[in-house]
Amino acid sequence: METAKTLPGGTYGECREVCVTQRVGRKSAIPPAEVEGLKGNLETTSIPDLLQFLNAGGKTGQLLLERQSDRPEGRTYFSAGALVHATAGAATGMDALVEMCGWDRGSFAFYANVLSPKASISMPVQQALMEAIRILDERHRPDPKVARPEKERSPRMAKSTRTSTDILEDFLKVPGVLSAVIVGRDGFVIESAGGSSAVNIEDLGAALANAINSVEEMGGELQVSKFQDLFVEYGRAVILCRPAGDAILVVVAPDASKLGIIRHKVKPLVDELSQSL
Amino acid sequence: MTVLRDQVVKSLVQVEVKANEDGLIPGFNVLVNQLPVAFWNTVAERLMAITPPERKAEMESSLVNCAYECGYHTGYGIITSPEFQSVVMPMVTEGAKDVLRGAFAVFTAWGWAKSGIVQIRDGERMVIRAVDYYEADGGGSGHRAYMVQGVSKAFMELAYAAPYPNGMNTFTCEQTQGIEVGDPHGEFVVTKK
Repeated sequence: METAKTLPGGTYGECREVCVTQRVGRKSAIPPAEVEGLKGNLETTSIPDLLQFLNAGGKTGQLLLERQSDRPEGRTYFSAGALVHATAGAATGMDALVEMCGWDRGSFAFYANVLSPKASISMPVQQALMEAIRILDERHRPDPKVARPEKERSPRMAKSTRTSTDILEDFLKVPGVLSAVIVGRDGFVIESAGGSSAVNIEDLGAALANAINSVEEMGGELQVSKFQDLFVEYGRAVILCRPAGDAILVVVAPDASKLGIIRHKVKPLVDELSQSL
Repeated sequence: MTVLRDQVVKSLVQVEVKANEDGLIPGFNVLVNQLPVAFWNTVAERLMAITPPERKAEMESSLVNCAYECGYHTGYGIITSPEFQSVVMPMVTEGAKDVLRGAFAVFTAWGWAKSGIVQIRDGERMVIRAVDYYEADGGGSGHRAYMVQGVSKAFMELAYAAPYPNGMNTFTCEQTQGIEVGDPHGEFVVTKK
């Protein structure tokens, strides 16, 4: 018999893909008490989402991530909601977390009350995820010193086939994103999708142009090159900005609970948008 | 620092739209008229309606040219005006690119079209998007934002072509999207001839 039950706390309703089961009377390699919890696949639920959920729920246990048989598995350990240890093949700690944040295929299962054999991560989950995704982004960023083949430089070849309107609609499919706005450097709202009761889009364009000007001036004075990412958390909204061609892409979310997944999912869309613009 | 559009708009909407004895706003050398947008749209619509099919392209080109000639000379008046020099020029750090940002902010402040720059390639190409422009609500068929087309081309020439008044007919402008045909905005691509 297999009985679905509601998620702990009932606050994770948006994550429809997670399968929550309680197995009773079924023969299993894992004792029933341990199986009770989460399982599912990474194609529909991202690792940053999972880790944030386990953190928010104050869970203790092990999250096992399995991929194809010839690929290393990953394990993360939680203690009262804190991420304390991670392994992915031979990698441990942050290296393992970075590795796992790049996985989008495989299955996962959470085994409650499994204690961590050691401690290799000492920062809060949100911070660890942001750092892991930042490192992952760095790895995927093309080396500017390496010349690209001529055909990739051709505007016609490189031009995205989708319009900015199409791409903006895709931003709204990222969990937690309320609105996505393209703003010119002068504050002109070039295009927007979605909406937020907390943020007026026209005001956002003007305010953002001021903020980006200040941020870029600071970058110039510190001689640390141009800004690549700006994240501001307010009481009622979180605003994430990235350069997209000559313009700035602004994503508005209600809070920082899904920031990890937003940053992860938004990156390829910003790249596509840059080409479209 | 770049030109901040919001500051330009807020400053310029305070300029008094009052003509002198020549019918001009003194600071800008802009002719003042108070005719409704619908009047201009009707003129364009009727001209297109009475034009035989084989000459419609020629008529469209003439309508764009009206806006272009007006935009070129008026645009020069605007960017050399004391108001532009005091409000916009202190924010200009990227040369002609910023002057263009300021010019489109003025274009918006005065209600011609809520428009701005999407992309500029110095001296080569500029993409403009506009909403709420004159012809967005007008009748007719096909792309017909003659005014924004003409003015976009004129502004690009003031920024990148030979100094006024010798820079005309250096660029061309094509309308690629239009509210009047069901797109979410008008889009205009200015390129070198």
